[in-house]
Amino acid sequence: MGEIQFKNICKKFGDVKVIEDLNLTIKDGEFTVLVGASGCGKTTLLRMIAGIGPATSGELFLDGQEVSDVPPGKRDIAMVFQNYAIYPTMSVKKNIEFGLINNKVPKEERERRIAEVADAVGLTPYLGRKPSELSGGQRQRVALARAMVKEPKVFLLDEPLSNLDAKLRVTMRSELIELHHRLGTTFVYVTHDQTEAMSMADTIVLMKDGRILQVASPVRMYSDPGQVYVAQFIGTPPMNILPVEDRYLGYRPEKVKFGEMKGTYCRKGRVLTREMLGSETLYKIELHAENAPEKQGTIMVKTEDYAHSIGEELWIRVEEDELYFFGKDEMRIKPGDGSMEAEEILERLRDYAGLHF
Amino acid sequence: MKKKATIRKAAPYIMVMPAVIFLIIFTFIPILYLFVLSFFKYNLISDMQFIGMDNYKNLFFVEAGFWVAARNTVIYTVSLVIFLTLFSLLLAVALEKSSLLNAFAQRLMFLPHLCATLTVAMIFQWLMNEEGMFNAVLGLFKLPGLRWLNSSDTALFSIIIIACWKDIGYYTIIMLSSLKAIPAEINEAAQLDNAGFLRRFFRITLPMVSPQLFFLLITITMGAFKVFDMVRILTEGGPGNSTDSIVYWIYKKAFTGTLNLGLASAASVVLMGVMMLMTVIYFNTINKKVHYQ
Amino acid sequence: MEKQSLSKYHSFSYGARRGAGRLLSVLGRLFLCLIFGFPFYWMVITSLKTKAESIQWPPTMWPRILSLDGYKTVMTAMDLTKYFKNSLFIIFWVIVIQLLVMIPAAYAFAKYEFRGKKIMFALVMMAYMTPTVVTFIPVYIMFAKIQPFGINLLNTLWPQILPFGANAFGIFLLRQSFMQIPEEVIESARMDNAGEISIMAHIMVPMSKATIVTVLLFSFINHWNAYFWPLVMCRTDEVKPLILAVADIKNVEEGIVWPTMMAGNTLVMLPIIILFVFASQKIIASMAYRGVK
Repeated sequence: MGEIQFKNICKKFGDVKVIEDLNLTIKDGEFTVLVGASGCGKTTLLRMIAGIGPATSGELFLDGQEVSDVPPGKRDIAMVFQNYAIYPTMSVKKNIEFGLINNKVPKEERERRIAEVADAVGLTPYLGRKPSELSGGQRQRVALARAMVKEPKVFLLDEPLSNLDAKLRVTMRSELIELHHRLGTTFVYVTHDQTEAMSMADTIVLMKDGRILQVASPVRMYSDPGQVYVAQFIGTPPMNILPVEDRYLGYRPEKVKFGEMKGTYCRKGRVLTREMLGSETLYKIELHAENAPEKQGTIMVKTEDYAHSIGEELWIRVEEDELYFFGKDEMRIKPGDGSMEAEEILERLRDYAGLHF
Repeated sequence: MKKKATIRKAAPYIMVMPAVIFLIIFTFIPILYLFVLSFFKYNLISDMQFIGMDNYKNLFFVEAGFWVAARNTVIYTVSLVIFLTLFSLLLAVALEKSSLLNAFAQRLMFLPHLCATLTVAMIFQWLMNEEGMFNAVLGLFKLPGLRWLNSSDTALFSIIIIACWKDIGYYTIIMLSSLKAIPAEINEAAQLDNAGFLRRFFRITLPMVSPQLFFLLITITMGAFKVFDMVRILTEGGPGNSTDSIVYWIYKKAFTGTLNLGLASAASVVLMGVMMLMTVIYFNTINKKVHYQ
Repeated sequence: MEKQSLSKYHSFSYGARRGAGRLLSVLGRLFLCLIFGFPFYWMVITSLKTKAESIQWPPTMWPRILSLDGYKTVMTAMDLTKYFKNSLFIIFWVIVIQLLVMIPAAYAFAKYEFRGKKIMFALVMMAYMTPTVVTFIPVYIMFAKIQPFGINLLNTLWPQILPFGANAFGIFLLRQSFMQIPEEVIESARMDNAGEISIMAHIMVPMSKATIVTVLLFSFINHWNAYFWPLVMCRTDEVKPLILAVADIKNVEEGIVWPTMMAGNTLVMLPIIILFVFASQKIIASMAYRGVK
């Protein structure tokens, strides 16, 4: 149906290599989100699938067929662009119809499909309008309808929500999830916003500098990050990372507890700032523990406990199984992975705890 | 205090006054005077003599030369409109990609537009000389030389070529900046919609650049109606009156021979009327098909 | 069905077709450069030939004897410097008057509300659309008949300067530019006790420098190249601008001496070339803007 496979893909813009030797399989029927900071190559990948920005070398398979030489219009894919790329000279209906006419879909079927899609996205009253007479959200729907009406085997979405206001964005997010469930086709979605990625994806592909750092489900991405960058990219605020000599100790702000002095990791700290977010409160805390294995610094804490004020001294604590360890190369190390590096850090933390508490 | 307030109120009038005075003296009074003159017989020396519609009657029923000039001007204008709009669009599409060669070609094409018409005309008079470069090139292909500006069959055609050469670069640049203003995504979306090159050109590109095409149409038409320099420098209307233009005819009537300023004024009024009429027609017909954002 | 349709794109060789197409398109562009570059090359080359070599058949592509005779003739025998001074005088005063008239007018139209504003601005736009080929007869008569203090104005350069005092296009363009300047800037200047003249000089003009430069550039190029208006207004040799003097090289009795003719035109084009070399990007951008706006 709609499986996409990249094999040894390279992409250069002039002399600048943006993607080097990339391999990736996007599973049929899944909602896959390519996420990463701007310039990481995610949009480049999406444009490769679309065929509007071909790879410099390497192979791209759509359902096992090599498609590098297939023009964009023949790939049976549809794309929603960041700025919608609606044809400004055509009415809403013509916009939706354009691809169908080009593909020689007979008139009755065209009418039927347009009516169906327009109904699904709530555009029926606007079919006769020009794009300039529509609001941002309505244009977004035109772009979506134009993609849906083609009944493609792959949907490509390039930051489609980034031009909408915050409220509409949340609504559209759930509408897109629903749409994916209803259609069951492959969705490839590009965004720089990890919240969007986490909330919508079946599979997240996290990229940096043209390389893929990790491919995993949102839950795995959050609970089992493969390296420091991933751990800090996913989750808000990002994971606290503290160096332990040349390695790293990490824990998520929302896993920190206040109060008791016990367990493997507890430290004394002072509240620097407090941000009340509603159900949760965000604290910035400066740690100070003499001779502790990890270097002291400031950390973020996210908790439902809003009772602490600025300047207050308190104890923070993290359970042992909520601690993450990373090696010199910033790659994840785990107790029991054979390298014994994680065990070493853990041992030193325990020793320190035994000595002081 | 009160004095200051009056000055405040007067300030904008003081500021626009010089401009308005200049415009009234050198544009609006002359236009009115032109209408007046067109009903008189006048040669700068003897007194003005009111003759009613005689100038107009002469213009329409006696002066055959005026109609030849008008016909030439229309041929010239239509040729320029067709050739310049068509080729500026095609060249813009061909030169759209940014590359060193394209940038150089654009610059080079644009240069003639900045040149004096005199210079362009003289260069081409030299190239189109019967023993000039053009005929040398034709000879290279074993073709017979042409008489270009010296034959009544080819003179108007030669002037059209020169005029196109001079201005095509300017219009190409305008079309280019219009093309570049089309977001790349729109063309990409059309590619994804399986629209071929021609279909994209006619359904996406053309409607998107229609405001500039309309601008071209107006500018070229109005510019071509006023053609004078080229005619006066290259052919002085000849051979015969095969390249006579309306403005050149008016100029001749006003400043040579019997100095028939009244008749020349009547012709100017007609020219102005035709140009206004053309503008109105353009705006009422073609402008409706233009897509504005 | 899809699988079949996909596989057919593998059958033809993309690479070879692309290669041939590329070569063809590069050749096409080079040909374009030739068409627009060669006439200028020919002008310069001819200006450096001897009279005998210039009319040699077949023509030589590079002068066998480099000769500066053409330049010597135009500089000494024809004394082009005199006419060059006339041109500079005209352009200098045109620009000075235009600036003095245009800036306050544009400021008032952009930032003031006053009775009659719409009508006055409509006058400006009407003047912009009125071609000089329509008004030249009455303006000429005015200059011929009105003789302040007994001075025949046609013996001075002013008929070539004053009619362009109000640059309608410039007022329009500058008004647009002034309108972009936020009201708050002007208001805070007024709170700092700045007068209207000071606001214009220290806020409006510096913030619209680019537009003003563009307008002046157009004025310079237009008046440097102008042929029609000087031709009408020039009744004595004393007030001839450079262009007309160069045009007269043609009217010598022994027939056109091409190296002299081309030398004159090369000199006329020199300032334009210099401008273009240093500011082609800017010139092209502002010319294109004129069309796209």
